[in-house]
Amino acid sequence: MPLLAARDLAVGHGDRVLIRGVDFRLAPGRVLCVLGPNGAGKTTLFRTLLGLIPAASGQVLLGADPIDRLSRRQIAARLAHVPQALANPFAFTARDIVLMGAAARLGAFARPGRPETARAMAAMQDLGIADLATADLALLSGGQRQLVLIARALAQDAAALVMDEPTASLDFANRRQVGQAIRRLADAGHGVILSSHDPDHAAALADEVLLVNRAGVLALGPAPEVMTAANLSRLYGIAIGRTETADGRLHFH
Amino acid sequence: MIRLTRRSLSGLILALVAAGPALALDGARFTDATGRAVAVPANPARVFAAGPPAATLLYALKPQAMVGWVRPLKPQDLPFLRPEVADLPTLGRLTGRGDTLNLEVLLSTRPELIVDYGTVNATYADLAARVQDQAGVPYVLVDGGFTQMPQAIRQMAGALGVPERGEALARYAETTLADLDAMLAEIPAEARPRVYFARGPEGTETAGPNSINAEVIARVGATNVAQTDSDGLANVSPEQVQAWAPEVIIAVDPDFAANVATMPEWQSIPAVAQGRVYLAPAAPFGFIDAPPSVNRLAGVIWLSHKLYPQAAKGDLHGQIADFYQLFYGPRPDAAAVSALLGD
Amino acid sequence: MGRDPMPPLSRRCWVTERSLLPLLLPGLAAAVLLGVALGPYGLPPGRILAILGGDRSDPQAVTVLLNIRMPRVLAAALVGAALAAAGAAYQTVFRNPLVSPDILGVSAGAGFGAVLGILLGLPVMAIQMLGFGTGLATVGLVLALSLALRGTGQVLVMVLCGIAVGALAGAGIALVKLLADPEQQLPAITFWLMGSLAGIKRPDIAALPAVLAGLLPLLALRWRIGLLAMGEDEARAMGIPAGRLRLLVIACATLMTAAAVAMAGVIGWVGLMVPHTARLLTGPRFDRLLPASVLIGAGFMVLVDTAARNIAQIEVPLGILTAVLGAPIFVGLLARGARGWSE
Repeated sequence: MPLLAARDLAVGHGDRVLIRGVDFRLAPGRVLCVLGPNGAGKTTLFRTLLGLIPAASGQVLLGADPIDRLSRRQIAARLAHVPQALANPFAFTARDIVLMGAAARLGAFARPGRPETARAMAAMQDLGIADLATADLALLSGGQRQLVLIARALAQDAAALVMDEPTASLDFANRRQVGQAIRRLADAGHGVILSSHDPDHAAALADEVLLVNRAGVLALGPAPEVMTAANLSRLYGIAIGRTETADGRLHFH
Repeated sequence: MIRLTRRSLSGLILALVAAGPALALDGARFTDATGRAVAVPANPARVFAAGPPAATLLYALKPQAMVGWVRPLKPQDLPFLRPEVADLPTLGRLTGRGDTLNLEVLLSTRPELIVDYGTVNATYADLAARVQDQAGVPYVLVDGGFTQMPQAIRQMAGALGVPERGEALARYAETTLADLDAMLAEIPAEARPRVYFARGPEGTETAGPNSINAEVIARVGATNVAQTDSDGLANVSPEQVQAWAPEVIIAVDPDFAANVATMPEWQSIPAVAQGRVYLAPAAPFGFIDAPPSVNRLAGVIWLSHKLYPQAAKGDLHGQIADFYQLFYGPRPDAAAVSALLGD
Repeated sequence: MGRDPMPPLSRRCWVTERSLLPLLLPGLAAAVLLGVALGPYGLPPGRILAILGGDRSDPQAVTVLLNIRMPRVLAAALVGAALAAAGAAYQTVFRNPLVSPDILGVSAGAGFGAVLGILLGLPVMAIQMLGFGTGLATVGLVLALSLALRGTGQVLVMVLCGIAVGALAGAGIALVKLLADPEQQLPAITFWLMGSLAGIKRPDIAALPAVLAGLLPLLALRWRIGLLAMGEDEARAMGIPAGRLRLLVIACATLMTAAAVAMAGVIGWVGLMVPHTARLLTGPRFDRLLPASVLIGAGFMVLVDTAARNIAQIEVPLGILTAVLGAPIFVGLLARGARGWSE
C-alpha cells in the first residue's frame, strides 16, 4: 500500500486548472521529486496533496483513504509538511517549533509534556541540530532553519513527508546537508515527496521524478530513465545537455 | 432640636404649597424629580453638588453647606463670591460614566446629601440610585429646565432645609420672568432682533434655540438664526452667518468679541457693522450658560437691556448688582459692575 | 561544515514554564494589596483588616472599603486581564506583534453603543449592555463581511474590514458627540471614551462571567492556539483546524474586550503593551504568553488605577496614565535587548 497516491489528479484554483493527469504512488523508503520550472504549479500541487485546497478533479489518497474524507488531525498523523523556511514575526526557539509537531497526536486541551519534548529532542538529534534547541529561529542560517522544520515533521511522526522546495535559496553547503538529511529519512522508511527546480539536485536525491511544466505532466519514472536531455529540454523550453560522471551521477548543463 | 423640627416642618408646608405634586416631603423623605423617595436629613450641613449647575444653585441657596466645587474657581470669580467658599477644594464631577470624582474623596468630605440639578432622564435617575446605594449618601436630582426654575429653586431649598431662602430666590425669579413677559407683550414680533450666538475663538460654534446653551436667548424673545433641532453645539461657517445676517451677536469668547470688528469675513454682518456684538459676562458664572443654572437670570436681565434698549425699564447696572447681592452674597460696587458688563 | 561559523544566539528566557506562576502571582497579589490599602479616604491597614474580619463599627469606612475600593480593584484587575489576554490572542492569530484588541473595531463599536446610550439617556446598566452588544455586533459584521468577500476569511481582508467598520463606528461616535448636550452628556461621553474606573459600582462586576467565558476557552486551548502563529497553511498541515480555531479565538477575545470596554470605557495601550512586555519575558509561545499576559495585565491595571485614584483629588483618566506609566517600562525592557519577535 503506498503512503500517498494521486489518481488522475488535476489541481488549480477554482476554474483555473494548472496541472492535469497527475498519477503517482509514493511508497515507504522512496523519494519522489516533482521537477519543473517556476510557475508550473508545483506549490498548488503540494497544497492539494496536503488537503489544504480541494482537488480540481481526481483523488488524493492517504493509504486507502481519500484525503477529503479525513480530518485535519488524521491527515497530519500520516502526512507531514515541511514548508519553505519563511520568516515568522515572532522569535520562536528551534525547540518551540519542533514541539509543534506533536499537535496531531495531542488532545485539544493538552500541551506537550515530557514524552513530546523527548521526541522533539530525538528528532533534532537525528538531524544533528540538538545544540540549536534554544536558539532563536530568526538567527539561524537558512539550512539550519530548514532542518528545524524537517525535525518538526519528524516529531509529527507521519510516515509521508511533503517538502516544498526544501533546498531553494540555500547555499551549496546547506543544500548538501539538507539533501543528506532527506536521504537518511527515506532510508529510515519515510516516503518523501519534494519539489525542486534544479535537475542536478533532483537527480542526486530522487528515486523517481515527476516532470511538470505549464503544459502539464511530461513524464514520471525512475530518475535516470525520465531525466533525459530531450525530456528536460522540453520541460524547460531550452536546449539542455546531460552528462554522466564516473560514479554514475547525472549532471545537466 | 425644637427649632430644627419647626424649620423642617415649615419647609414641608411651604414646599407642598409651592411646588404641588412635583414635591412631597414625608417627614425626612423627599421625592425627587426622578420619582425616587429619598431619605434626606432635616437640615444637611455638608452637601455635595454633582455638577456645575447644581453647584451654582447650592451656592446660591446654602453656601455654608458646600463641601467643595465641581470646577476650579478662577481668580476673577472670587470678588463676586463669599470669601468662605474661596478655599473649598475642587472635587470633580459625577457625570454618569467616567467621573472625575473619586467616591472615596467624596466620602472623606463626609457629605450628608448629594444634590444634582439638570437633565432628568433614565441615565441620571439610575446614576443617582447607584451612587446612593454604593456610597450610602442620599442623592436628590432636581429638574434643571429653564421654565421650571422657580419650582426647582423651591424644591432644592426644601431638600437643603432652607425654605425661606428658597422662597426669596424663587420669588425673585418669578418677578424677573414676569417683568420680562410684561415687556415682551409690548414688543411686536418684527421689533425683536435676530440673534446669532457665537461660541469659540473663531465664533463659528453655535447652539440652536432648543439647546440648553442658548435657551435664554429664545426666552427673551429673540429669534435665534441657527434653526437646528439639535440639543448640542454646531459648527457653522462665517459664510452661513453672512447669509443669516443677524442683527445682534452674543459672544462668549472675549478674544472673538474683541477682534470680530477687524475680521473681514465678519465685518459686513449687520450686527458687526452696527456694533451690536455683546460679550456675555462670565464671572463668577456665565450669563447665557456655563453652567445652565440660576445664573441665567442675570442673562435675562442683561439681554432685556441689550436687545430692547428702549423698552427695558430700570437701570441695568443696579439690577445686576441686586441680583449678585441676592444670589451670590457680596454686592459688587459700581466699578465692579461696569467692569463685569464691559461698559 | 554547513554550520554557521558564528554560534547562534540563544534567546534569554527570563520567565520559564516553571517560574511563571511563582514569579507573577505574588506580583499580582502585591498590586492588589496595594490597591486595597491605598486610597484618598484614609484607612489604616489595621482598620482594613478589622473590616475584612467583620468589624462593622464604622459604617462609612465599611462603605469605602467594601462598596467603593474593593469592587474597583477587582474591576481594574478584570479589565487589565481581559485587555491583555485579548491583545495576546489577537497578536498571535494575526501573526503581528503590532495588533491591539481593537483591530477588528470592537472598541469603536462598543464606544458607539455606549455613547448612543448616554445620548438616549438610558440607565447605566443599559448603556453598558448596549456598548457590549454593539462591540460584539461590530466584530460580527467585520467577520461576516470578510467571509462574504473572501470565502476563507483571510487575515488581511479581515483587518481591512475591521478598519472600515471601525471608521464607520468612529463617525457614529462623532455624530453622537455633535448631537449631545454639551453641559452634561458631552463630558460624560468624553470621559467615557477616555476610559475610567471611577464609575465602577458593585453591579458592574457582572461583567466577570463574560470575561471568564472568553478567557477560559483561550486558556484551555492555549497551546494549539499558539500554532496559529505559524500561519494558516502550516497550522492546518500540523493537524489544527485553523479557520475554526481562529474564529473561536477572535470570538473569545472580542467577548473579553467588549466586556472590558463596557465596564471601563476605552482604555488604550494595555492590550498592545502588556502582551509585548509578557512576550519579552516568556518568549512567543502562546501557552506561556497568555497566563503571563493575564497576570501582568491585571497587576498593571490595578497599579495604574491605584495611581489614578491617589495622584490627585480629581481623577486622572486611565488612558493617560497607562501611556505615561506604560511607555517607560516598555522602552526600558526594549533597551535591555530582550526581543519577542523577529525583525
